[in-house]
Amino acid sequence: MKSLEFFSRVSIGRYIERDSAVHRLSPAAKYLWLFAFILPVSALRSAAAMALLAAAAIAATALAKIRPGYLLRGFVPVLPLVGVAAAFQIIFTSPADSSAVLLAVGPVSVTLREAAAVGGMALRFLAMMLGLGLFTSVITEGDTARGIEDVLSPLAKLGFPAHQLALAVAVAFRFIPIVAGELEGIVKAQAARGADFGTGKGGPLRRARAYLPLVVPVTIRALERAEALAEAMEARCYEARGRTRYVEAEGGRYDLVARLAAIAFAGTSLALGAVLPW
Amino acid sequence: MEHSSVKKIVTAGALGAVSVVLAVTPLGFLPWFGGASLTIMHIPVIVTAVLEGPVAGTVVGLIFGVTSLVKAAVAPVGPLDPLFTNPLVSVLPRLLIGVVAWAVYKLFRGKLTPLAAGAAGAVGGFANTVLVLTMLGLSAADQIAGVLGLETAAIPAFLAGIALSNGLVEAAAAAVFTGAVVSAWKGIAEGGASKLSKEA
Repeated sequence: MKSLEFFSRVSIGRYIERDSAVHRLSPAAKYLWLFAFILPVSALRSAAAMALLAAAAIAATALAKIRPGYLLRGFVPVLPLVGVAAAFQIIFTSPADSSAVLLAVGPVSVTLREAAAVGGMALRFLAMMLGLGLFTSVITEGDTARGIEDVLSPLAKLGFPAHQLALAVAVAFRFIPIVAGELEGIVKAQAARGADFGTGKGGPLRRARAYLPLVVPVTIRALERAEALAEAMEARCYEARGRTRYVEAEGGRYDLVARLAAIAFAGTSLALGAVLPW
Repeated sequence: MEHSSVKKIVTAGALGAVSVVLAVTPLGFLPWFGGASLTIMHIPVIVTAVLEGPVAGTVVGLIFGVTSLVKAAVAPVGPLDPLFTNPLVSVLPRLLIGVVAWAVYKLFRGKLTPLAAGAAGAVGGFANTVLVLTMLGLSAADQIAGVLGLETAAIPAFLAGIALSNGLVEAAAAAVFTGAVVSAWKGIAEGGASKLSKEA
């Protein structure tokens, strides 16, 4: 029955409450920093730049008073990937590789280019884990939705439905526990009738068919709830235009500086990544 | 059926939640031959696109893509998860599923709903597989080659093989699930009776 308890161990992007300079940023500033970080991490190829970006992420994590080890607890399971990729890079030396040999054991040699390729890959993943993990640790659910609207507000002036998108995300956050609870209820009800999920015998086709009485009711229930919620909102004359907020994001000079710093950070990283040799 | 914008927004949010829940539980993956698993997490994207149009479908695709990006970075499970920390692989392809599925559904002009929804599911599911694999091939061919011990030059053929084998099965699964959900929902909408509305 252990397989039926889905939601006790889910720890994806849990908010960690701390009193830190990072937590005090407005949601829009947090989003700007996230974009300013992800852009160079996914665009650059240089291993040295990845190392600097990962170091920057660790510094930000310390500033947020969160242990980097907590964000990196998922790193160990993927180490085999890095190991295999490293072995492959080292064994098959590209004929075009004329960089300095760092280490040679018999016929196998590690060149600078190979080391940079493997290190760059591992560091990129490390930086991404730190960046996304930190972002989800310092932003609350409500701020995640509000921040989307704030950060897209320049686009909203051009007609982009920023508020609508933020509302959809807010509804999604609100619905996650409901859908999860219903899914658990339906799985248990089906299990009580003898259905078998995951552990079951029988061919894949039979197991796939067991999911039909699970996915259909969950989706239908979500659609029904959405319809009820939409009717309730319309009955109260909800309109997506010209809305005010109960909680206004506090701007201030500190926040403005942080936003400008995010833009400067992205620019500097991209420029640095283009200059660094490996 | 033209729906109000509130209905579209709320439905996108609700089915986005379904997609997130499927993504963070083992139920999002169907066990399949040889340890490979099929994903059904894109079903809510296709269902939303069919019921509420391409924009709502794209919103659910965005929620699904961002969830898989965050999941790959925060709680990676498989050897390929590090590659999904690239938003070009995990988010961009998922934005297009809804548009493709909606376009296919529209081709039927409101006739033969179960068949149209099934076709939309098949094409949407196949589009997901093909687009994700294409982005993987473009962005990380070297790393995949490293994991599998193949030459980098063999990667396009290898990915095309997966796209055909896994993609066709996923397309069939998506067709069955989408067809079942959409026809059940249309049945309820036309019959006017819903269990939830009686409860409330």
